[in-house]
Amino acid sequence: MDFLFYMGDVFTPINFGLLLLGTIGGLILGATPGLSPTMAVALLIPFTFQLEPQQGLILLGAAYTSTVAGGAVSAILLKIPGAPANIATTLDGHTMATKGEGAKALQLSFLASAVGGLFGVFLLIFLTPVLAQWALAFGPSHLFWLAILGVTVIGTLDSSSVVKGLLSGCIGLWLATIGFDDIMGAQRFIFHPSVSGGINVIPALIGLFAIPQVITMFTKGRSSDDAEVISVKKHPIRLAFLEVFKRKAALTIGTLTGSIIGLIPGVGGQIAGLVAYDQSKKFSKESEKFGTGHSEGVIAAESANNAMVGPSLVPLLTLSIPGSPTAAVLLGGLLIHGIFPGPDLFMNYPQVAWTFIDSMLIGQILMCIFGLYIAGLAASVARIPHAVMAAIVLGLAVFGSYSVQNSMGDVYVMATLGLGMYFLERFGFSAAPLVLGLILGPIAEANFIQGSMIANATVGIGSYFFTGWLNWLLIVIVLASISYSVWMEVAQRRYTTKDDAVAKEEALS
Amino acid sequence: MKKWIAGAAIALAAMAGTAHADGHESYPERPIMMMVSYGAGGATDFQARIVTMTAGNEDALGMPIAIVNRPGAGGRVGWNWFATEAEADGYTLGAYNIPHFVAQSIEGGVEYSTESFEPIANWGADPAVFVVGADSEFNSMEDVVNYAKENPGGLTFSGAGLFVGHHIAALQLEKAAGVKLAYIPNNQGGAGAMRAVIAGEVLGGVNNLSDAFRAQEAGNVKILGVFDVARNEEFLPDVPTMMEQGYDIDNASVNFRGVMVPKGTPQPIIDKLAEIVPTMFENGRVQSRMAAGGSPMAIMTRDEVLEMWAARQETLEELLAGL
Amino acid sequence: MTDLPRNQHIIASGLIAGVGVSIAYISFTQEPADAFVFPRLISSVFAVLALWTFGKAVLGKTKVGNGISGDAMKKMLPGLIVAIIYIYWAAKGLGFYTATAIAFFVLVSLYDPAPHTEFKTWLKRIAITAGFMAVMYGLFAGLLNVFTPREIFF
Repeated sequence: MDFLFYMGDVFTPINFGLLLLGTIGGLILGATPGLSPTMAVALLIPFTFQLEPQQGLILLGAAYTSTVAGGAVSAILLKIPGAPANIATTLDGHTMATKGEGAKALQLSFLASAVGGLFGVFLLIFLTPVLAQWALAFGPSHLFWLAILGVTVIGTLDSSSVVKGLLSGCIGLWLATIGFDDIMGAQRFIFHPSVSGGINVIPALIGLFAIPQVITMFTKGRSSDDAEVISVKKHPIRLAFLEVFKRKAALTIGTLTGSIIGLIPGVGGQIAGLVAYDQSKKFSKESEKFGTGHSEGVIAAESANNAMVGPSLVPLLTLSIPGSPTAAVLLGGLLIHGIFPGPDLFMNYPQVAWTFIDSMLIGQILMCIFGLYIAGLAASVARIPHAVMAAIVLGLAVFGSYSVQNSMGDVYVMATLGLGMYFLERFGFSAAPLVLGLILGPIAEANFIQGSMIANATVGIGSYFFTGWLNWLLIVIVLASISYSVWMEVAQRRYTTKDDAVAKEEALS
Repeated sequence: MKKWIAGAAIALAAMAGTAHADGHESYPERPIMMMVSYGAGGATDFQARIVTMTAGNEDALGMPIAIVNRPGAGGRVGWNWFATEAEADGYTLGAYNIPHFVAQSIEGGVEYSTESFEPIANWGADPAVFVVGADSEFNSMEDVVNYAKENPGGLTFSGAGLFVGHHIAALQLEKAAGVKLAYIPNNQGGAGAMRAVIAGEVLGGVNNLSDAFRAQEAGNVKILGVFDVARNEEFLPDVPTMMEQGYDIDNASVNFRGVMVPKGTPQPIIDKLAEIVPTMFENGRVQSRMAAGGSPMAIMTRDEVLEMWAARQETLEELLAGL
Repeated sequence: MTDLPRNQHIIASGLIAGVGVSIAYISFTQEPADAFVFPRLISSVFAVLALWTFGKAVLGKTKVGNGISGDAMKKMLPGLIVAIIYIYWAAKGLGFYTATAIAFFVLVSLYDPAPHTEFKTWLKRIAITAGFMAVMYGLFAGLLNVFTPREIFF
């Protein structure tokens, strides 16, 4: 119970002030398109030079927590996912916002984030030694199967046709191979200098989600139709509480999936939300409502991507191995103060380590409070006329994708992908599986190549990829996931006729 | 308002056809950007942020330096951009890693070479070391080489990628010991390569001294040898060099990190930077932060770096010719 | 009208099938072969799925997607042209803030239903543009220190 002992340190005036600053700053940075949690934390590192180690880490921990949650704001209100973590949030969250339920969507997302986040940090507090071994258990062969598992959800994710879903996924996987390949350094498919560095996920995300939406707003023309004006529904926070706890299945699946996936080095944060979304859709009694502004979608996605925050720090704090890019930046924040994380971190620097963890706990709660406050204000975003909205989203998309690495090429990539995506969407393709392919492609490829290099030098490819209980567990889940998709397609074809599909699309737009 | 006046002044000067040749006394007039061709949180990024933190001081450049990351393909993405697209106006700096970019330019397929860049100053030198898991049966380089002799091509060991310092070290080891090894490049850089060693996915690994030192402190790995001409007295006084263990390996794989600008940057600006930047590295606060993080420093001036680049170019051409 | 989506489906899926087949061709012919193992796998699946979709579209069996109506096309065209000029040329040619301000103002004016003849409408549009630009400048230039391409006016 050491963490309770050091809880008091969080509430000294300076520390609490920094915690507030980190939380509010993190929400703003998180809501800025193009600014991923990693970049936000890296931007804050220079400020920690001036601070005591404990204070610096409080600032960084609070910022990490709230940037992940803050990403939901732009995902829900503008349909611009700030980071891969928030892709799944756009699917139902933005649809809710367009129906005038933006306030509700935001409240649900912040409450679910807080529940998931608290659970994740408690895992970090109580189970760190056990979890550290788990984080090491994933070698190249397991990561390869995990990526394949991710690919299998592509077909069922937010698409009205399995074939078109898979095809969208293939386009994403192919886009991921553009540029220098990560291991050999060979050039592939570089048909324009803008893509010589490969396609960066964040500008691609912004383009794929934001640009089609801008064009859709253009197609409404100069209409002053009164039917267009959405009545903004006020949503009392009390009801949001009830709703979150009524959707126990989504909340549990989201939190657990997020915590488990968050542990896996190099994969976690990016896909936790999408996998949780897909899983709770498969287990839900109302799976047909997913994608049409269903509260379970938001709850599952957001509880997952905040639940991943705590566990993602386990390998860093115990083994000194950063499991995610953000953890790597936090490692930097520790190193400049001469603190080396490792098994004896909690013995040598208990005050720093425990205060850091405590501040993440308190940070989750503060983030939720501020988030709920923002939700009240932000609901009126739906009232912004579409002419202004289109211009705002376009401007933010350009600035956001440029700021990732100060590159004009990224802006061109963003716009080109977005333009293409608009037309693809009109023909039944969707952006979420495409993005999932884009994220999983490099993971699958690099781990396959590393795995086969190790296998060739040792036991041979067959036994390397197909022995060991973890490999088999993953293979079985992959097969189960595929059969489930096939069964869904055959047994209960979701849209038997074109009219059904159209009706759903109309309901969406 | 100031910016408007400054802008107008620049515009006027430009219109007048740059009245006098040496129009750079007031450099820098706005914040400077520094490109790092590795991801945020990596060793190069982390050190670059520390060594540039005092740039805004009045006795240094007087303007802050902001770090921009352009990671990908072992640094090729960032350096390609730096060589072909970066503006040579003195407001775009880059971090270099030797021997990485030299080896990549020799191997081919990239648009840069030592000719494309102008060095400013060097801040760090991080030698490669050979690590094995804490519970490994290997206790010296001799054990490792003996195993490799019994299992040709069966000794798996990780490193940060192809044609980076770790790979050079691996090639040198193969050549010096006369064995065939299975070098497994990792797509997540040094951190990923270290994880593979600790998790037991590979039998050993080449890694940065600074990261290996931390991992050893945490009780996760053993360090068996240093790929440098002398032991590292500051962090690892007890670990012998490869030379001491009977393998003829010099310091060609040592990872030198420093600041450079694209070719074509005005000479007065290069001179000014070359004069001020090394003093930034010598700043007491920078030094103490670097020491705390376990990052060995090696401050070199522009002339010394030019010499070092030329020397590396020669060694690496010879080493890689045998491939 | 009923045939329009079908023809569009044929064109769209035909284009995708073309892309699929050509990247498959590139993957199988480019060197070094080692680096193209994974692209070969993906592009084969890609090409097969794309051809299947194309076949379905030709047979008129496509069930999802409603194409683009002529009316929507007409309405989006001005906005699309402004957006394309803004992104592919003006942002770099004129400078980020200048180009964004102009594009923002033009787009708002194009799609705002308020009458163009009233002075008050224009005032409101200028005010919104100014407000947006202030936020963008504060956020990206002030807070985040993002280096944008040089402006032509300042």
